[in-house]
Amino acid sequence: MKRQLTTLTDATLITAVVQSGYGEIVTDALLEVGIQGASVHSAMGIGIRERLGALGVAVDAERDIVTVIVSSDEVDRLFERVYLAAKLDTPGMGFMYATPLVQAATYVPPSILKRFEN
Amino acid sequence: MARKKSLRFGDFIQAMSVDSHKIPYIELMPEPLFDRHGNEFPQPIPKIKMGGGEIIKLLQPYISTRFMDQARAVVPLAAYLGLFQYLVLKTPVIDASIIAGGLLAVMVGLMMFMEGLKLGLMPFGEVIGNNLPRKLHLSGVLFIAFLLGIGVTFAEPAIGALQVAGSIVDPEKAPYLFTLLNDKSGSTVLLVGLGVGLAAVLGTVRFLRGWSLKPLIFMSLTPTLILSIIAFFDPELNKIVGLAWDCGAVTTGPVTVPLVLALGIGVASAAGKGADSSLSGFGIVTLASIFPILGVLLLSFYTAYTVPPEVIIARAAEIKAAAELASNQPEWYQLTPWSEVILGVRAIVPLVIFLGFVLFVVLRERIKEASIMNYGIFLAVAGMCVFNIGLTYGLAKLGDQSGGLIAGAFSSVEAISASPLYSLSVGIGIAGLFAWVLGLGATLAEPALNALGMTVQNLTNGAFKKSMLMGAVSIGVATGIMLGVLKLIFDFHILYILLPGYALGLFLTVLSTEEFVNVGWDSAGVTTGPVTVPLVLAMGLGFGNALGSTEGFGILAAASICPIVAVLSLGLYVQFKVKREERLTALNMNQTEDISGRV
Repeated sequence: MKRQLTTLTDATLITAVVQSGYGEIVTDALLEVGIQGASVHSAMGIGIRERLGALGVAVDAERDIVTVIVSSDEVDRLFERVYLAAKLDTPGMGFMYATPLVQAATYVPPSILKRFEN
Repeated sequence: MARKKSLRFGDFIQAMSVDSHKIPYIELMPEPLFDRHGNEFPQPIPKIKMGGGEIIKLLQPYISTRFMDQARAVVPLAAYLGLFQYLVLKTPVIDASIIAGGLLAVMVGLMMFMEGLKLGLMPFGEVIGNNLPRKLHLSGVLFIAFLLGIGVTFAEPAIGALQVAGSIVDPEKAPYLFTLLNDKSGSTVLLVGLGVGLAAVLGTVRFLRGWSLKPLIFMSLTPTLILSIIAFFDPELNKIVGLAWDCGAVTTGPVTVPLVLALGIGVASAAGKGADSSLSGFGIVTLASIFPILGVLLLSFYTAYTVPPEVIIARAAEIKAAAELASNQPEWYQLTPWSEVILGVRAIVPLVIFLGFVLFVVLRERIKEASIMNYGIFLAVAGMCVFNIGLTYGLAKLGDQSGGLIAGAFSSVEAISASPLYSLSVGIGIAGLFAWVLGLGATLAEPALNALGMTVQNLTNGAFKKSMLMGAVSIGVATGIMLGVLKLIFDFHILYILLPGYALGLFLTVLSTEEFVNVGWDSAGVTTGPVTVPLVLAMGLGFGNALGSTEGFGILAAASICPIVAVLSLGLYVQFKVKREERLTALNMNQTEDISGRV
């Protein structure tokens, strides 16, 4: 039997660089809306801390980078959800962006594939 | 399956909930600067100026998350003690506002101290741990590890609780205990520190050579237990045993563990070992809680050999008289904010000077972001001072009070006029249950336990679940504290708990695998944080005083051995279960093969 590869189209990558510890908060918010999974990486950030002077101590140099692939139709909604969950409307909390993807693929269970057969 | 796209849901939601704007990025970038030759030169970096509202928005999450971390550990415990006192013992909390202020100081102090530790002291530890082994010979590294062990002991917040506890001890009843905690308290802490230093050295060598922890446990516990037994038969020294074993639990706190580990792991990874083994972090904590016991026991033997008890009693009376004389006109450094500030500075500053000396003189390294580190050191010192104030007026006072009052459940105490409130058996049951729940709650709230649970879950590929470990340790500590309280009620010697407990622990150690031995013995040190230790110590002393027993130490010691036994036995059970499952699957596979073979 041939092995199968199913590609997902209309996918967009959302990447959010957030304060360390907020990675889990963001992924929880994403799981609530039915996202299947997301990755969290640990990283160090530079920039704002040095420019804030004494207040820079309130900005943690340790960062979580959350990457998640969402449907292109839902980008705005989920982008906003991540923005609010990570409290990006606060100074020094982080940065996020969305990138269109050409194609994406993962394991798709046969029961779901069946729905697309016709 | 395609959705209707007449109105996108996202647009709808966005219009409803946020006020969104769009700005082209180029508008935010400064004009590029060129010199005469057309080469671009670096932009000046302007400082960001923020308005009051923005500053509050920036600081609010910074402070609130850190404060909540501490509040989660302190508030439920304090509420439990207060409510228990009010509902079961029918006595309102005396000096409630002072205690509330003290507890607030504990939370604020710990918040500042932990942040200062992370920003100010940990970078030292990491840089030294990474660079020292490359620049110095092993013996030099071990010597510095040894000195570091002493330094961190003085900086441990819970160590101050010993001094506070010392002021409650009656010199007539237990002269050696009194002298070890009062005029010789410096030597006591120093010997505890020597023990931690020795543990740091042995633990580091263990990383490098890949020794098993089992023989180390046997070799360090055997003399400790033998000395305890010898002390037990001496009428004066047997009051020391509880304190000595409590010291083991006091040392392994939030300063010692990460700093000593950073150095040990640095040494191991520089030698190309340990970094890949997830077990390399363990073992030091265990040794660092056994060696100080040995140290304090030896000190007490030395004191008993050189100083007769009469001298101590006479000196205690002198000190008391001097204190009474001074209480009319106390010196400025004995008054409340200043004495705590001096304690705080004395705890942290020597450690910082030592770390700085190693870093700048021995290693000739520089620290990036020196201003942030200075801020961290300042926070650590300030936090320690505030914590010390909270320790005296919050934790120690509350623990002492609850301990004193809980005795009223089954015997008559002055503070409760209607005491004994309950019949003897019911009252003792209530006291035991109170201690059990206190231990359970205090342990589950400890953040270090959560981290240990995750490590263990990863180590055993999920066979030993995080919740199982947390449950085992908490129930172990709860049972230990209950046993400790029962020890005070029935006034038997702590050795009757410790000897069978450690014998059982050693027996289980022989049977267990290396992983579980590491995790099990370390679990005891992990559970006793800077909130639990002072509270339980003070509670034990208050309880002991109310009952008229000679000394209230030993509860923490009992709370150390029980989780070890609990985790080791649970580990054996998990091992047994995994083996049985393997055998069953193997059996099933054989059977299916048989069947398919027949078909």
